[in-house]
Amino acid sequence: MSTLQPITILIAGLGGEGGGVLAEWLVELAIRCGHPAQATSIPGVAQRTGATTYYVEIHPQSLAALGGRIPVMSLAPVPGCIDLMVASELLEAVRAIQNGFVSRERTALLASSQRTLTTFEKLAPGDGRFDSERLLQVAGSNSRQLAAFDVGGTAREAGTVPSAVLCGAIAASGVLPFERSAFEDVIRASGRGVAASLRGFALGFERCGAALGAAPAPTLVTQLDLVALGHARVVEFQDAAYGELYRQRVERLKAAERLADPQGRHGGELTREAARFLALWMAFDDVVRVADLKSRAGRFARVRREAGAQAGEVMRIADHFKPGVTELAGLLPQPLAQRLLDWESRRRRDGKSPLAMPLKLRADSISGFFALRLLASLRWLRCRGQRYAEEQALIERWLAVVETAAANSWETAFELALCARLIKGYGATNERAKENFRYIMNCWTSTDAGTIRRAREAALADDSGSALDAAMTQAGASARAVKAIPVRWLKRTGHRT
Amino acid sequence: MEVSFSKEVEQLRQGAGETFHGEGILAITKALLQSGVAYVGGYQGAPVSHLLDVMVQAEDYMAELGVHVEACSNEASAAAMLGASIHYPLRGAVTWKSVVGTNVAADALSNLASPGVTGGALIIVGEDYGEGASVIQERTHAFAMKSSLLLLDPRPQLPNMVRMVEQGFALSEACNTPAILQLRVRACHVRGSFECADNRAPAMSRKALRDEPAAFDYEKLAHPPATFRQEKLKNEQRLPAARRFIVEQGLNEFFAGKRDDIGLIVQGGLHNTLVRALQQFAMGDHNLADAFGAAEFPLLVLNVTYPLVPQQIADFCRGKRAVLVVEEGQPEYIEHEILATLRRQDVNTAIHGKDLLQMTGEYTVEAIAQGLIKFLARHAADLPLAAAQDWLTANAARRHAVVEQLAAPLPPRPPQFCTGCPERPVFSALKLAQQNVGPVHVAADIGCHSFATFEPFGFGHTILGYGMSLASRAGVSPMLKRRALAVMGDGGFWHNGLLTGVESALFNGGDAVLLIMKNGYTAATGTQDIISTPDEEQKASAPDKRLSLVDRNQTIEHTLQGLGVKWLRTVPSYEVDTMRRTLEEAFTTETGGLKVIIAAGECQLERQRRVKPWLAGLLKAGKRVVKVKYGVDDDVCSGDHSCIRLSGCPTLTLKDSDDPLKVDPVATVIEGCVGCGLCGENAHAATLCPSFYRVEIVQNPGLGERALAALRRGVIGLFQKP
Repeated sequence: MSTLQPITILIAGLGGEGGGVLAEWLVELAIRCGHPAQATSIPGVAQRTGATTYYVEIHPQSLAALGGRIPVMSLAPVPGCIDLMVASELLEAVRAIQNGFVSRERTALLASSQRTLTTFEKLAPGDGRFDSERLLQVAGSNSRQLAAFDVGGTAREAGTVPSAVLCGAIAASGVLPFERSAFEDVIRASGRGVAASLRGFALGFERCGAALGAAPAPTLVTQLDLVALGHARVVEFQDAAYGELYRQRVERLKAAERLADPQGRHGGELTREAARFLALWMAFDDVVRVADLKSRAGRFARVRREAGAQAGEVMRIADHFKPGVTELAGLLPQPLAQRLLDWESRRRRDGKSPLAMPLKLRADSISGFFALRLLASLRWLRCRGQRYAEEQALIERWLAVVETAAANSWETAFELALCARLIKGYGATNERAKENFRYIMNCWTSTDAGTIRRAREAALADDSGSALDAAMTQAGASARAVKAIPVRWLKRTGHRT
Repeated sequence: MEVSFSKEVEQLRQGAGETFHGEGILAITKALLQSGVAYVGGYQGAPVSHLLDVMVQAEDYMAELGVHVEACSNEASAAAMLGASIHYPLRGAVTWKSVVGTNVAADALSNLASPGVTGGALIIVGEDYGEGASVIQERTHAFAMKSSLLLLDPRPQLPNMVRMVEQGFALSEACNTPAILQLRVRACHVRGSFECADNRAPAMSRKALRDEPAAFDYEKLAHPPATFRQEKLKNEQRLPAARRFIVEQGLNEFFAGKRDDIGLIVQGGLHNTLVRALQQFAMGDHNLADAFGAAEFPLLVLNVTYPLVPQQIADFCRGKRAVLVVEEGQPEYIEHEILATLRRQDVNTAIHGKDLLQMTGEYTVEAIAQGLIKFLARHAADLPLAAAQDWLTANAARRHAVVEQLAAPLPPRPPQFCTGCPERPVFSALKLAQQNVGPVHVAADIGCHSFATFEPFGFGHTILGYGMSLASRAGVSPMLKRRALAVMGDGGFWHNGLLTGVESALFNGGDAVLLIMKNGYTAATGTQDIISTPDEEQKASAPDKRLSLVDRNQTIEHTLQGLGVKWLRTVPSYEVDTMRRTLEEAFTTETGGLKVIIAAGECQLERQRRVKPWLAGLLKAGKRVVKVKYGVDDDVCSGDHSCIRLSGCPTLTLKDSDDPLKVDPVATVIEGCVGCGLCGENAHAATLCPSFYRVEIVQNPGLGERALAALRRGVIGLFQKP
């Protein structure tokens, strides 16, 4: 790098993180040290958490050395010509790389290892998160040097904002020809929250130094005994007998897998994964279970911890419930439940909104707590109820489908087994999930493993079900019957329109 | 205001001998005072908001100087304000975001430009073009040409920007023509320094009042027959006078080069980018431009891009084999004018521009370098292009490689509603309402609420301009079986929605639903106050600073009633279920005509600015404080994320499930939750799932409260499972 080229720093962050302050500090730093500097930004709608970038240029020669000559500095970062890339969020670091700014020859990259998920990633009914491992790998392999550590966490630890931590990291990177003390003087002069900022600076300096060049730690995968976990879950949900039923079902899966894969080439993966989802399914979410979970000591402690309550502070918990006709019917025996559900569907057909009772239940109050315990004690009712019967029937259906498929192909049986992942949620969500599940089960015979996997992934990709419909019809399945929904046309009035 | 500019306000007081360090737009603001400006107005909007914000907050100092500052209701009223300079020797400046603001101001601008001005009139526009722009991509240049306004595009270095403000006023007076000074986004936010001069108190001002108004002078009216003479004057006197001044004062800069056979003409605002592009061309030990801008070829830097000076252009081009015009945006007005003027003067230098440079989009270093390669290959074949070519190729290769490596496209990260924003719940309600009454046509508008066009909502068929939503559905609603919905912020309502939308709909008996987001400020531009903003006393006297105060100011409601709106409902914006029901009623009621729903909820940014110090104070004083936060029981959450699809709150996100059986991530509420209540409201309104809870932490609780809590813990503990 010629002594006449400015040192270039690109900062990528999210609105409201103090990226502007950081850029201001760097310019201030350069000025105090007698170097020409310039900063610009594309703040976006900065307060509103969109992606924002700040760009700083500092001339390597001091004003004295320049003898009155004024360097012309660029207002915009130049791809491939960045000396230091700073990102307070991992995906934004990679975005800058994708935009071509970071170069393997020239750019040192300081990136936070943690993610702030985009809305887009959060929407999927399954897991729509971008693979962080891959992001880190791209960051490492496309920069001259990578220092990745949890900037946000470090900032919280120091009780300050990311900008202070990043400032420390920049000082540690050694890209700027200024002493650590010079950086700290700028922070001191800034006058607001100095102590906390300096704490953050110090931690950032230290952690960046440690992270420089060090490869990010690989995540280790531990093989758990899912069957044992599943059994425990099911027993806890109902009773030992129900646990026994779980074991029998797992045995059936084992037998099916043995049939499909005698040499055990797949190491029992079908049984393991199916056992996982079978347990979650058998321990389906209903008022009894929810009430049980919400009234536990461990839960109270967790809430207290997550809310950051200190000793001596009083905690109140208000739980949001909205038990409806379906939840009630679920606990009643089939004939009774059916009558209730028919009545409800008639109401809906007449355009009435579903009957449900919104509750804010104070779990920490004595009455609220005992209300929860009372609900939790309704296990005996659950196993006689309509929901229980319905779930068991569908589970049996699924098992049968997997068993039959196993006779022909392990892959198909495996993909069908994984379809149990679709079953989750409450009320409408649960109904939607089951519709998708049934749709796939109904058409599976005509399809191979790949089609089933694509269908399942489509079902987990969007909640409207249109992705699933597309995937299924593409695979030659017949389209689902259109669901009846009440439509209201507007009566035109005498008014001119 | 969301931000305090006390530091910047202090900088405005700097005088000769001091050095200003700061943002470009603040340097411009300081330059206005150094030029003896008498009145300042405008309408906020990125990237020039700070100019007006700082002026407003500098109230006391402005009073000292006698400068009048006005936060105008829209750009039209700002432009009309410049009418003061028609008769009086007053220097005035107004500011807004362009091109949109200039569109709104166009009528007044034409009627200002025609009679012309006595005192210097300067319009500071933020040219919102290219990266970071939030509006349609058009050029302000067209307005300068059609109304014969002067257009300055300063080389973006603070001393030059300041000089152009001072010279801009002088130029405006020298030719009795209003001047526009355009700043690109990055130029507004550039941090640099300049040597200050003393501020000049205007001769005629709020402190030095003039006894009598100006004498009647028909020639100063934009009214026939004067208008016919004014058109002649523009072209026979004013523009020639402008050209003389531009040359005499050297407003356009000429930088000599090492060789004279080719040259470059560039808009001032692009100078730095051009220099950086030239630096990518290495020839042996040096580049086509050095770090200080000394280039291989001569540069003509147009700090004034309208009018051009034909003689200056001809002199620069004469004797050169070829000249490249570096002009951002389309159409290429400058290039066309240069071509015409050279042809007339029979100068036969080859002129290139958009034929070699990209036609549209921001002129980045890469974009200009690509054009330069083509230009030099054709007219300076002796120059080595390898270095620049290799650099461009490497960039392209790098981008391609990364896309390959990523295998999947990176998710976008558009701006979104802030944590706790009062507008988010309204769109949750709209999503639910449409599930019951069917989809409706949504006419969207400018403002924070336009973030509802992004995930998880995706609402909005059209955006026709600020405050235009209701007007933009006038032709739609008569054609649809279901009522159309127009969404408008209180900012847009006062900017012009009241007249273009409400008045028109009432007069025409339009059967539509108008949803007004009453958050109390023009929030998207930085929460500037408007006429319906709750006043400071109300904020000071509010016992609980956390509560929304927008209900304290009923100006919007009274205005609507006064106009004759019959169907008017006000719903607190966080009450999702009530809002859903109200929307459904509005969409289906037999009542015709305009139906207005006011979603009342104060901007959360403003509330937090008030709440944080208040709570800190209470805690310091050992007073009782209740901290509210929402949470998700991850063992109850099933990982379906329907709650997120109904909210999109930044603090409602995902984490890996602690349950080894669950593979899908579960919802979680992270630090930063302001306890707005939306999670609970949605859980109820949509029957989501019972995993949400509201937790209240009582800090410094009373004795009785502590005792009761202890009793409860004791009793519950006896019967609690681990």
